[in-house]
Amino acid sequence: MATREVISSGNELSALAAADAGCRFFGGYPITPSSEVMHEMSDLMPELGGVCIQMEDEIAGVAAAIGAGMAGVRTMTATSGPGISLKAENLGLAQMAEVPLVVVNVMRGGPSTGLPTRVSQGDVAQAKNPSHGDYKSITVCAGSLAECYTETVRAFNLADRFMQPVFVLLDETIGHMHGKADLPTVEEVKAGIVPRKSFDGAPEDYRPYECAHDQPAVLNPMFKGYRYHFTGLHHDAKGFPTEEIETCRKLIQRLEDKVELHKDEIEYNEEYMVDDAEFLIIAYGSVALSAKETIRHLRAEGIKAGLFRPITLWPSPQDRMRELGQKIQKILVVELNIGQYYDEVQRSTGRLDIEGLFKVNGRPISPYEIVNKVKEMM
Amino acid sequence: MARNLMRFTGVGGQGVLLAGEIFAAAKIKTGGHGLKTATYTSQVRGGPTVVDITLDDNEIFYPYANDGEIDFMLSVAQVSYNSFKNGVTLGGTIVVDPNLVHPTDEDRNKWKIYEIPIITIAKEEVGNVITQSVVALAIANTMQKALEKDVLVKTMLSKVPEKVHAANIKAYELGEKYANEAMGL
Repeated sequence: MATREVISSGNELSALAAADAGCRFFGGYPITPSSEVMHEMSDLMPELGGVCIQMEDEIAGVAAAIGAGMAGVRTMTATSGPGISLKAENLGLAQMAEVPLVVVNVMRGGPSTGLPTRVSQGDVAQAKNPSHGDYKSITVCAGSLAECYTETVRAFNLADRFMQPVFVLLDETIGHMHGKADLPTVEEVKAGIVPRKSFDGAPEDYRPYECAHDQPAVLNPMFKGYRYHFTGLHHDAKGFPTEEIETCRKLIQRLEDKVELHKDEIEYNEEYMVDDAEFLIIAYGSVALSAKETIRHLRAEGIKAGLFRPITLWPSPQDRMRELGQKIQKILVVELNIGQYYDEVQRSTGRLDIEGLFKVNGRPISPYEIVNKVKEMM
Repeated sequence: MARNLMRFTGVGGQGVLLAGEIFAAAKIKTGGHGLKTATYTSQVRGGPTVVDITLDDNEIFYPYANDGEIDFMLSVAQVSYNSFKNGVTLGGTIVVDPNLVHPTDEDRNKWKIYEIPIITIAKEEVGNVITQSVVALAIANTMQKALEKDVLVKTMLSKVPEKVHAANIKAYELGEKYANEAMGL
């Protein structure tokens, strides 16, 4: 892979990735600690013939972005946890109507307005189910500066493949830290773009929501002569509301299955020194940086520790976690919340003896805190 | 070079963030690794701000300076000095602006404390208070011998508008001079 070296922050890299991945619309409302994403998009979009619009609030920000997605444009919004709370209703609409959209969430302390400038991973559970009803979240989480770029690119491709919102979770540390990132070239990113499917038959034969049980809707861009209907109500093959029993069941089951049955296209993990590990740390996002530093210390003392880092958080890598849970006795989940992913690790491994190290005061978890916890468990 | 950990502290709006970015970028240009992280409060202006700068020849994972391991701290606000001084390793170096920060006698036994009137230098000798971050950059680099001066100055100039290049070069030279004088060189 050809690479280029860029010195920047995580938030700015996420915006750069969006531009390189073909995003041409940003609708949002700035909120700490995500604001730099929008600042950068306001520079990049007009230069590329795109649009960056600051709307009157968070709700209108995501609504505008969804509108652009309906029109066929690659589109993004960025916010933090309180913004997701406000956008939740519209995110449900995008799940139901199957509108592709990338949502960057730079996590701060919560609930409510919480700790605006401080780090947290408190939105992991929210990303799984931001809105009511049944659907399957796709959520990726960057664990380095380079991944703020590469995971945003991947999110755009996943959004078009699965026709739904995709969350990119950053946290305040990753979003604001400033340093070097080795990135793929723009040509490489462009070569990897697979545009969303479209229907090119006769307009009268077009049935956007009539698709295989495990496939997303095929939505042609609006204003091209293909008429159909967007709604948050249960809908038929042309998008019009219906209460027909089988149609309703199939629709919601398909929203689940289009993701669930293709998890292999979405799952992505990093395993760091896991091969001979006798102690496993599970962490994601910026906490994984602290965990890697921890493993350096522990290995220097002869303790065989390793890190499992889910990069796709939802759907979770449950099969791999189960395998690791059968192989490694001592497992510690470290996160900046009170066990939002710990629950998923317990569920996936079927083990209740896994331990957790949690922190919710807006401060990062230092490698020493993890080292001490590991030694306590030995 | 072993890991170099520096911490700049002030209050929001003083420009300490930029100094951190310049250090990190200059280290990266020499083929090494550099990271800057900042923590600040939700107060718009006046809240304690801390910038951690980590420079290393090897890859850096954890981007914050661990308390007790910091080699060098520079502080231009009492509130920040009080909050963050204990992160500095015993015997480490602390530079304060004596008009704004007043270390205790106990502090002077723990750390090598130098008093340099950073803000006054920027305001009166350079003639532009904004250049205080470059005065600070020069002091930190001169005392820590972290990077080649040329690389750091070039990186700095690439990050400030051209019309203030001369002022910032002057700020750097003055910072270097005061740092050498403070160390008795």
